[in-house]
Amino acid sequence: MSYRKLFYAFNAAMLAVFVWALAVDFFVEWRPYQATYYKMAAEVIEKRAAAEKDPKKAADIKAEARAMRHSPMEIKQIIVGDLGRFDRCVTCHVGMDEYTNPSLKNDFKENPYKSHPKIDESLVKAHPFTKFGCTSCHSGQGLATTKEAAHGWVKHWEKPMLKGDHIQGACVKCHGDFENLKGAEVAAKGKKLFNQHGCQGCHAINGWGGVVSVELGDIADKPFERIAGFNFKRVRIDGKELPDEHHNSHWNIQNWIRGHLVNDPAHNTPNDPFAKLNAEPIAPSGMPDFTKELSREDADAITAYLSGMTKEEMIPYRWHVPAPPAREPAFADSKSHGHFVFQKYGCAGCHGMDAKQGRRRFNALGAGQKEYDEKMAEKDLFDNMQLGAEPTLPDLMGTYTHEELVKKISGGVPATDAKKWNPKGPMPMIYMPAWKDKISKKELDDLATWLLSIAKKDESGF
Amino acid sequence: MNSKMTFVAVLALVAAFAPTARAAEMTEKEKALANPYPNDFGPATLPDDVVKSYPANVQTGYKKLLSNKSGCAQCHSSARPLNSRFVEPEGGMDDKAQEASLAKLKKDQPDLFKDASVWQVEAKVWNRYVKRMMNKPGCNLQKADGKSIWEFLAYDSVKRKTGANAVKWAAHRKGLVDQLKTKNAKRYEELKASNDL
Repeated sequence: MSYRKLFYAFNAAMLAVFVWALAVDFFVEWRPYQATYYKMAAEVIEKRAAAEKDPKKAADIKAEARAMRHSPMEIKQIIVGDLGRFDRCVTCHVGMDEYTNPSLKNDFKENPYKSHPKIDESLVKAHPFTKFGCTSCHSGQGLATTKEAAHGWVKHWEKPMLKGDHIQGACVKCHGDFENLKGAEVAAKGKKLFNQHGCQGCHAINGWGGVVSVELGDIADKPFERIAGFNFKRVRIDGKELPDEHHNSHWNIQNWIRGHLVNDPAHNTPNDPFAKLNAEPIAPSGMPDFTKELSREDADAITAYLSGMTKEEMIPYRWHVPAPPAREPAFADSKSHGHFVFQKYGCAGCHGMDAKQGRRRFNALGAGQKEYDEKMAEKDLFDNMQLGAEPTLPDLMGTYTHEELVKKISGGVPATDAKKWNPKGPMPMIYMPAWKDKISKKELDDLATWLLSIAKKDESGF
Repeated sequence: MNSKMTFVAVLALVAAFAPTARAAEMTEKEKALANPYPNDFGPATLPDDVVKSYPANVQTGYKKLLSNKSGCAQCHSSARPLNSRFVEPEGGMDDKAQEASLAKLKKDQPDLFKDASVWQVEAKVWNRYVKRMMNKPGCNLQKADGKSIWEFLAYDSVKRKTGANAVKWAAHRKGLVDQLKTKNAKRYEELKASNDL
């Protein structure tokens, strides 16, 4: 081929690439949304012009409509200086862009054209978009300009947009008093349930709570590298397996948290109780099965609350609304205060609601277990290990004095004290931490008083 | 040569991890011994003449206590209750009678209340402890056996640790505490700090 022909071919190729690049840039996903919005908004303005009787004013309004219809196609973004973030959500959600729609109101019903809901309410007014952007509350991928990517429904984006009531987790991030905020009722309910069911007995939040299991103060930041796909595949929501798409919108931290509340966590994380893969046996997740205590709605509320547990975002201190801890109620007597202390420190996490029934403790001893026989089938061994339980306190309390109880709770019970049902099985995971540095003397005394008051009637006959 | 070195390395690894594996499979008795009380250094049985001097029903309780299958010895050495500092005043099931006996002991034998590492005199103390052990998961102690063991422990505690035997008991018990101090100083300090000596 001559140099001339080569030159023509090269130029043709360059032209093709140039045209292709223009086409790619022109046929972007957001452009039709923006064009449709301009058209719809222009039509609304034109109707207003048609209704206007003053010809001069009508001409002005028509000019406004024309300007709207011919608004430039552009990437729109909110620069959130405090977070160093650029949220381009308003590129498609033009009705929420204050430059295109200064009133931030319109009558459109459909996304992405409609204006932000509850725009006149204090909740939205207190969070101007120009300061807070979109993703600081809604999460998602602010820089992205396609629907899937922007909502975070793509691989490797670990913080997809918070849907429904989960957005209330965003309130938890900054508001120390979120429990009293209008609009954060679901997150507040989640916190209440979290405490009522004794989750804080094992899981501390920002240092407040037990040390038996992981700290949840940054659970919303838990990287997916720390959640094995094997475990995610075992999570069932509404009885259904999550779609098998690694790092997609279903495999997210919300479903991981919810999955612990609507499934038996031992099912999600079975570990290796027979040491098939490890040198030592490892018990399944020690977290109790809450499926009989929590409804799906309850699980969602706790999930919403925990969705706000993040340390990853560099939220500036001036965004935070600190609040002192809620004042504890006054109690008429030591017994009722003791019951409150039982709930406050999450004792229900192991000993059950109102201490009525000790929860599961894998391979500890418990009621209903058969006598251990190493020749038992693996299923029998597993089922019996599952029957291991924490102490049911009313059965035991009558055998303690007040002082002995105070001492026991202060010092805790180490895991090594546990008697294993299957001597070859795993060490029971849960243990009772020493509470002496966490519970005050008065609280301990009153807790012991309440515990003694729930002792079962002695029917031993001696 | 390489295979020999590998063999030696494997042996060394096995030797290094053997104690860990053993620890994981400790029995309840071994666990109890790993965290001893002074009691555990004492004899695990009583002298025959002492036992024979007890009423028949109390002797039955003693035999049950020693049982590996359905007595205290299923979880810990029988030395633990037999050398315990606990003293349950006379009075049996009658709370008021026990309180009266306790008051009498306080008046007649004030020395019993001076050193808690030798005597812990308390109404229904054995009653509570036997029931607590019975409530431990995996404890095979039946109600009747528990009652029998309690009768023995309460009776024995008064007979062997108070009155004319108080001095002998004090010497025995102090000897056990000294043994713990010598053999396991860390545990001694731990129990002392928690008033469990």
